[in-house]
Amino acid sequence: MPSVQSPQAVDPPASHSNPHALLPFLRSQSQNTLTRLYQRPSSCLSIYRLLGPLERQLVMNLLWLESAIPVNTMAVWVVPEGKKLYDDALAVMTGLHILQNSTVKLALNPTFKSSLRQAITGGGSTGSFGVPAEKDDKRQPGGIEVLDAYALERWETILHYMVSSGQGQLPTKPSQGVLYLLQRSELMKANHGATLQITSSGFQFLLHSPHDQLWDLLLQYLHMAEERQMDLVEVLSFLFMLSTMELGREYSTDPLSETQKVLLEDLRDYGLVWQRKASSKRFSPTRLATTLTSLSPSLPTSSSTGGSRVGATTSAIGVAASTAQQGFIVLETNYRVYAYTDNPLQTAVLNLFITMKYRFPNLVVGMLTRESVRKALANGISAEQIISYLSTHAHPQMRKNNPLLPVTVQDQIRLWELERNRLKSAEGYLYRDFASQADYMYVLEYAKQLDVVLWENGAKRCFFGSLEGHANVRGFIERRTGGG
Amino acid sequence: MEKASHLSVIVDLSPTQWHLSAQADNQYPLSIQTFLSQLLAFLNAHIASQHENTLAVFGALPGKSVMLYSSTEVLADDAAAPDANSYPPFKAVDSTVVQRMMYEFDAFKDVEEEAPCALVGALAKALCYINRITHPSTSPGGAAEDPSILPDPRILILSVSPDLSSSYIPIMNSIFSAQKLKVTIDVCKIYGPDTVFLQQAAHLTNGSYIYLERRDALLQYLIMSFLSPPAIRKVLAVPKQDKIDFRAACFCHKNIVDVGFVCSVCLSIFCQPVPVCSTCRTKFPIKTLQRLNASRPSLAPTSSRNTLPLANLNNATPRPTPPRNVNGGTPGLR
Repeated sequence: MPSVQSPQAVDPPASHSNPHALLPFLRSQSQNTLTRLYQRPSSCLSIYRLLGPLERQLVMNLLWLESAIPVNTMAVWVVPEGKKLYDDALAVMTGLHILQNSTVKLALNPTFKSSLRQAITGGGSTGSFGVPAEKDDKRQPGGIEVLDAYALERWETILHYMVSSGQGQLPTKPSQGVLYLLQRSELMKANHGATLQITSSGFQFLLHSPHDQLWDLLLQYLHMAEERQMDLVEVLSFLFMLSTMELGREYSTDPLSETQKVLLEDLRDYGLVWQRKASSKRFSPTRLATTLTSLSPSLPTSSSTGGSRVGATTSAIGVAASTAQQGFIVLETNYRVYAYTDNPLQTAVLNLFITMKYRFPNLVVGMLTRESVRKALANGISAEQIISYLSTHAHPQMRKNNPLLPVTVQDQIRLWELERNRLKSAEGYLYRDFASQADYMYVLEYAKQLDVVLWENGAKRCFFGSLEGHANVRGFIERRTGGG
Repeated sequence: MEKASHLSVIVDLSPTQWHLSAQADNQYPLSIQTFLSQLLAFLNAHIASQHENTLAVFGALPGKSVMLYSSTEVLADDAAAPDANSYPPFKAVDSTVVQRMMYEFDAFKDVEEEAPCALVGALAKALCYINRITHPSTSPGGAAEDPSILPDPRILILSVSPDLSSSYIPIMNSIFSAQKLKVTIDVCKIYGPDTVFLQQAAHLTNGSYIYLERRDALLQYLIMSFLSPPAIRKVLAVPKQDKIDFRAACFCHKNIVDVGFVCSVCLSIFCQPVPVCSTCRTKFPIKTLQRLNASRPSLAPTSSRNTLPLANLNNATPRPTPPRNVNGGTPGLR
C-alpha cells in the first residue's frame, strides 16, 4: 500500500532546499569564465540570490572583511549538529569559485567581493543594472498590464503548442527559435516528417511551475549558446541584468553588445522582454524576466505576499490574470474535478489526465478515471506529478481541507500507477533438467550465494538466474559434471 | 522552498546620545553619519538575500516615533531617478530612509528641551505592522494566505539611550505581544550602558542582545549576528547573553528595584510595602505591613541585592530565592 502523505510534508526545511538548477551549470564553467562574470555587480547579486540560505549568510559574513580569516575562527560559529550543512555550503561556494580554494583561510574571490560590495552600496560605473532609456515624450511606455499580457501570451503559446501537439491539432506555432529549442531539449520530437510531437519529458514539463519551466528552457538555451560560440559571460550577465531590472521601466539597447542584441531577439520570442517594434531602441523586461532569481514558487497560487511593494513584482508569473492566481481546481472524493477556468491552456493540461464531462464558459467539469489516469501515466507523467499539480492549483475553498486533496483519490491515483508496474522483466537464463534433487539444491545454493537467483521452483527442479551470474553458474555446473 | 523573512529595524535617534557617541574621547567614536552608512548597507544586505524579503524601518525620536520606510508602502515621492549602477530596490530604501530621517531631524531644530526617546512607541508600531502583514485576512482586501509563505518576522532594536524606567510596563507588554506573535526581538546596544529591559526583551523572545564593544566594526556585528533568519541560527550560532539582568521596575515610582514587594493577588511590584494594591485594590493586613516594614533594608538597597528576595505582601516569610530569579516572565502586568 502506498503511504498517505500530506501535501505539507513535501516542503523541505529551508536548509535542505534543493539547489537552483543553474548552479550545476555554473559549476561546470571554468574559473576564468566565472571570474569574468563576477565583474558585474548585477551578476553577483543574482548569483548570490540563487545560493542557499546558509551560503548566503556565509558570503555576507565574509563580504566586509578585508583579510582572510582562519578556517577555525569561522567554524566556531557552527553548532555541532550543523557541521555537515556548513561543510556542504563551503563546498558549494568553492565549486562556484566564490570562495578561494584554501584549507587554512577563508576568503571570498576578490572580484566577487568587490562587485557584490558595489551592488550593495551602489555606485561605480559598470552600468550593470541596465541603462534606462531616455524619457520618450511622444509615447507612453507600455504599462505593467501590457507587459504581463505579452509575457503570458508568449508563454502560453509555447505551452499550448506543446500540449496540443499530442492531440494532433496544431494551434499557432511559436517562432522557429522556440521550436528548435523545444526539440533540442527533447521536450518535443519530430515524428516521421515535419510535425513535432510532445515527448514524455515534455508532458512532465507541462506540470512544472512556470519558474521551473522557464529555467529548464533557459538552461537549454545556455547549452545551445555554448555550441553557437556565443560568449557565455555575455549571455549570463544579460540574463542576470534582466532579473535585477524594474518591471514597467524601459531600458536602452545602446550599451548592449552584438551578442546581447541577438539574445534580446530570442528572449523576446520567449516573452521575457517586450519591445514595441523589432527595431526599437528600447526594451522592457516582463515579469518572467524580473522574477528569474526569486526563489519563491512562481506558481499562480502563491500570489504576492501581502501586497508588498517588493512582493508585487514577484507575484506569480500568472498563468492567467488575477483570478487564476488563486487556485482553480476543486477535487471531490467522488473523483470529480471542477476547474474554474476559461483558459484553453489550463483546460488542455487538465485534459492530459482527466476525462472531460462538461464545459461551461468559466467552468470545466471532468472525472479522474482509471482510463484517463492510465493515459497520462502512459505518456510518462507520474502519479506524484498529477497529485502535486492538483494540490498546487487547488481552489482556495479546498485549502480549508486537511489534507488538501481527498486521501482516497490520492491513494487511488498512486494505485493506478502501481498497477502498471505489476510485471517486471529481466533478462536471464533458465536452468532445468537437473538429474537429481541433490544436484539441483547444490547449484541453487551456489547461485543464491552469488545473489543471482530471480525465481525458483523446487517441484519442477528449475530456477531462473540473472544474466550477470550466468558465467559463474555455468562454470560451476561444468566443473561439477566434468569433475564428477 | 524557503520562506521569506521580515525584518523591522527600530533605530534609536536620540540627538543627545548620538552627539555623545560621536565625541572623540570615546574609545571608538561613532557618528550618526557613519552609523547610517553602515546601517544602510545592512538593510540592503537583508533585501539582497531574497527577493521576497520585506523590511520596515522605524525611528524612535524624542517624544515621537515614526515609520521611516516600509517595503509594503507605496512611496509618494518616487522621484528617485533610475541609475544604471544601482539596484532599484536598494536605492529606494536608501533614499527614503535618509530623506525621512533628515526631515524629522530638521523638525527638531527649534526644540529647546529634549523629551525622552519614544522607543516603546516605535516598538509598538513595529509589532502592529508585523501583526498586519502576518494576518492579512484581517486587513481589508487581504486574501486568506497559506501559513507556510508568511514571513518569518524579526525586530532589531538599535539602541543608544539608557533605560527609561517609566516605560517598564509598556515594554513588558510589548514583549508579551511579541511572544504571542512569535516575533524574535534582537537588540544591539550601540552606545551607553546596558539596558535591563531590552536584555529581557531579547531573552524572552529568543533573540540575542549584543553590547557593541568594537564600534568601528558595527556592520560586521550587524551582519554576523542579526542578518540570519531563525532557521539559519540553528546552524550558525548567534551569540547570546549569558547573564541577564532580570530586575523589574516598581509600579509606584517606576524605579528599577532589587528588592520589591509583590501583591499576592495580581503580582504587581512595589518598591515599598503598601496598604492597598494600586492595581487591583486588594487590602493587605496591617500586621503584615508592619512586619515587612521592619524587615525592610533601610539603607542603600543596592548593597542588599543578594540578601533579600522579593517579599510577598501577605505572607512575609522571606524565602531564600536568588534575586536573578524574579521570574522570567513577570506575569500579571496589565
